[in-house]
Amino acid sequence: MYCVKCGVKLADTEKICPLCDTVVYHPDLKQDDVPPIYPEGRIPRPQKNSKAFCGLVLILYLIPTLICFFADLRRDDEISWFGLALGGLIVGYVMFALPLWFKKPNPVIFTPCNFAAIALYLFYINFATGGNWFLSFALPVTGAVALIVCAIVTLTYYLNRGRLYIFGGGIMAFGALMLLIEFLVDITFKVDFIGWSFYPLIALMLIGGALIYLGINRTARELMERKLFF
Amino acid sequence: MAKKKKKKSLRWLRLDNAAKIYPAARRRNWSNVYRQSVTLCEDVDVAVLRSALKVTMKRFPSIVARLEKGLFWYYLEQVESPPDIRCEASYPLTFMNNKELESCALRVIVYRNRIAVELFHSLTDGTGALIFLKTLTAEYLEQKHGISIPCEHGVLDRHDQPAEEEFEDSFLKYAGSVSASRKDTNAWRLPNEPRHDGFLHLTCFKVPVAEALAMARERGISITVLFSAIMMQALQNLQKEKVPERRKRKRIKLLIPVNLRALFPSKTLRNFAMYTIPELDPRLGEYTFDEICKIIIHKMGSEITPKHMQTVITTNVNDEKNPLVRLIPLPLKNLVMKAVFDATGEIKSCLSLSNLGKIQLPEIMYPYIERMDFILGVQAAAPYNCGMLSFGDTIYINFIRNIRESELERHFFAVMRDMGLSATVESNKNVEV
Repeated sequence: MYCVKCGVKLADTEKICPLCDTVVYHPDLKQDDVPPIYPEGRIPRPQKNSKAFCGLVLILYLIPTLICFFADLRRDDEISWFGLALGGLIVGYVMFALPLWFKKPNPVIFTPCNFAAIALYLFYINFATGGNWFLSFALPVTGAVALIVCAIVTLTYYLNRGRLYIFGGGIMAFGALMLLIEFLVDITFKVDFIGWSFYPLIALMLIGGALIYLGINRTARELMERKLFF
Repeated sequence: MAKKKKKKSLRWLRLDNAAKIYPAARRRNWSNVYRQSVTLCEDVDVAVLRSALKVTMKRFPSIVARLEKGLFWYYLEQVESPPDIRCEASYPLTFMNNKELESCALRVIVYRNRIAVELFHSLTDGTGALIFLKTLTAEYLEQKHGISIPCEHGVLDRHDQPAEEEFEDSFLKYAGSVSASRKDTNAWRLPNEPRHDGFLHLTCFKVPVAEALAMARERGISITVLFSAIMMQALQNLQKEKVPERRKRKRIKLLIPVNLRALFPSKTLRNFAMYTIPELDPRLGEYTFDEICKIIIHKMGSEITPKHMQTVITTNVNDEKNPLVRLIPLPLKNLVMKAVFDATGEIKSCLSLSNLGKIQLPEIMYPYIERMDFILGVQAAAPYNCGMLSFGDTIYINFIRNIRESELERHFFAVMRDMGLSATVESNKNVEV
């Protein structure tokens, strides 16, 4: 069989011309079912030598850890602020370096882990500084932010459509969170309620609402795409 | 304890002069690997092949070997047991990672009636690999069909002990006192946007030997010159299409490997090849096919001589012998050698066209063998490479590329078609994802 476009003679194995991508077809000739010269569907995944890189990152993390430890120890021969520095480094490691160890880190699993690490760190700070704000302020705020972010990440990860609705809803939820934060600040730190949270609430509701509107209205969406592409 | 003793008795070899650059030049998704294959007239019996490999590997301790790290240099170590026979992937020359190189730098792959060997270039060159493949196939056919194959035309006796001269680094032996300059111009880089999934496209042109030979004789040139000229003409046409403004065009340079065993009396099974790079400067105007042939003949005639090749060998050997280079620890040396490779290696040519020539076998093997193929891996920073050989009455020209577009193959075919050379094409396009 010859390619009708470029004229090359094709081996019986060819279903598409390798030179010009024209589909091989002749209405009067039946093509024999000859096996391909290479098997189908055996594509090895490109391998990455990421273990060495992860090890290097771990070693790089150990350097500031040791520096903090010895600096703290040298100051007055006892450990005082090292725990706070170590906690911060651990949170940073969990958030940025831990996923590198995995071939395909799933953000739906890692996002709640990150918030758990942050909550534990805040709990430690509260404990180490003798504060009384963790249960009444840090935990509910961290929990609410975690809930919203995890919902956004999960929906974005598993749904291929509706990004505008997801982010619009998420932003509106953050607006509502502002009210909760002001309320918790009020009861935890005994600050007078002045209603600052209404300003970000209104702004975030408008932004979130606009995104949802763009999701609903195709004409408006296309207009925005035309005006704002980069 | 016994295992330790066995490991101690395994043969180890320093890398030859040409092989030293390949481990250093590796990168995350590229290693210098090439393939040779033999297609039989019947499906391969894997159990018999495994047994044949077990016998053959003892004859080739420098080829069935692993790559090991020393403090200052890499070295090869014979492997104690034969590598597993692997199944074929959807494309040849899949990436050979460090773990694999440190286990065995040679693969034996079976697909239906095809036996393929893929080798890391530090083990040997195309000639050495061909001797290994011929010997493995002979042993397989002997075991499978109970025939007796004479040890000729590159088939070695599997029961012989390997000769010391087969392990020699002939570059060191034939280096002289006068070295050549490395100064050379850079070549045009073909458009390169490699596929992210690492898929390699293989396109094979099958050209009748009789037609090609008649055409070459008519012009008074060899088959290598004929196809090198076709390739350079195709590159010239492709560049003309891609870079319309003539002044902005870059040099078309084709790397043609040269088997030094034809120039120096060496029986080594290690690397012993050099190259010549004919070039065109398209800024000066369009070259006709006859002009291109003349340029290639002139270049090959002036450079493929023992005297010239010795000067090039000497340059490389002098670098290796430099006490400062020798004392640099391996990780640092790798960085330096990689930089040298990037600055003076592939950048000097558009692609390679390696011709293994007419493959000859003991007469008794021919009825069992349908065809043979030679496939080079793509270059580190360029999308193409091309390997060819002739077997029976057909020339097999294998293009490999890591980009989607088959522009160069299209131009190559167009040049052949315009000259009246017929070609059948086959590829792994059907299995592409």
